[in-house]
Amino acid sequence: MRFFESEEELQEKLRDFIAAHKARLGLVSSEAPLISNLPVWSNIALIPQYHQNMSWHDARTQIDRLLHRLGMASIAEKRNPALTREERFCAMLLRAVVVREAVVVLDKPFSILTNLRDGNFLMHLLDKVDDLIAEAHIFDYSWAKERYGVAADAED
Amino acid sequence: MISAIDSIGRFTLDTYSSVGSTLSFAARVFLRMFRRRAYNSASMTVFISQIYFTSVQILPLFLFVAVIFGAMVNGMVFQFIKTIGQTDYLGRLLMGFVVTEISPFITVLLVALRSSSAINAEIAVMKVNHELSTLEIFNIDLIDYLFVPRVLNGIVSMVLLSSLFSLAVISIGLFVSSVVFGTAADAYIDTLLRSASPLDMIIVWFKCAAFGFFITLIPIILGMNASQEMTSIPVAVLNGMVKVFSAIIIIEVLSSIVRFI
Repeated sequence: MRFFESEEELQEKLRDFIAAHKARLGLVSSEAPLISNLPVWSNIALIPQYHQNMSWHDARTQIDRLLHRLGMASIAEKRNPALTREERFCAMLLRAVVVREAVVVLDKPFSILTNLRDGNFLMHLLDKVDDLIAEAHIFDYSWAKERYGVAADAED
Repeated sequence: MISAIDSIGRFTLDTYSSVGSTLSFAARVFLRMFRRRAYNSASMTVFISQIYFTSVQILPLFLFVAVIFGAMVNGMVFQFIKTIGQTDYLGRLLMGFVVTEISPFITVLLVALRSSSAINAEIAVMKVNHELSTLEIFNIDLIDYLFVPRVLNGIVSMVLLSSLFSLAVISIGLFVSSVVFGTAADAYIDTLLRSASPLDMIIVWFKCAAFGFFITLIPIILGMNASQEMTSIPVAVLNGMVKVFSAIIIIEVLSSIVRFI
């Protein structure tokens, strides 16, 4: 987890991090929305279909399995505007983890999960897809530390 | 006087720059169409769905227009031929005018009205919603994934739909000729085949391909030019459609020059 005092500092560090890990980056951010004219499964399948030339059928099977793993099988055919915040976050997280050897970056996750008080849901999700992720990094403001169960005066 | 010259000069420079950038982007997309990497599973999925939206969903309206138009044109042509007593020109008139000029023109108008405006709005909305930058973040090439399938769909759809339109018109002509002249089907087909020039057909296919290429490429370019504000979407669509119709006229004129000179 990386915490920053100001928006400028966070954005600068995030930009540098993204540039350094461009090839394996799986970004989860409100600045990287789901494609609105594609259903959830297509949004996720797009990554292996494009980068690994995975067939439509194989991609569909893989994504259905991943959605099932997160208990989100019912959102496969939904589009972005029809999703709840949690469902949207799950879809964005899965899109990030299907990147090969994914370096998953969660950019201010509470800007997507605005209705959540703490990071339990987030940590629970990350646990479920832990085997698919090479690295996971959370970028957020210092004042949000407590939401992740980190003491406010703790080092980053 | 000076301000008038100034505005003419500015208009000329703007037009020159706009045409230059369009042609340069067109060349990039065209070259990318021959790159194997552009045909991955994701791009092919987009291509198939685009073919469905452009060529399949339009079919009821398209066939309705083709039948109505075919009946109207054939009625006029046969009546005219009968009046002047020049039945030898029937094939030439149908093949040289209806198949090579009218069919591609009506087809491109219908496809442009439906698909070009949709592509323009779609790309503009994606730009405004940061969806294009999202694709770039995930290392997805916009030309390979978004543009090549749409442009290729434009080319394939235009050639197929224009051929279908011609077929519908000729089929109705067969019916009208048997009613008006009492011509047998094989005599009618023989007349048409004798009037068909291979060079004309090649020019028509090239014209359809050029139509398809530009009526999908121009909306993409104008959609990409949208700013980050919602209000830029209708402006992008409006400008795109004006340029699409300009391109249709230019291609029509150029193909006529190639054909008749």
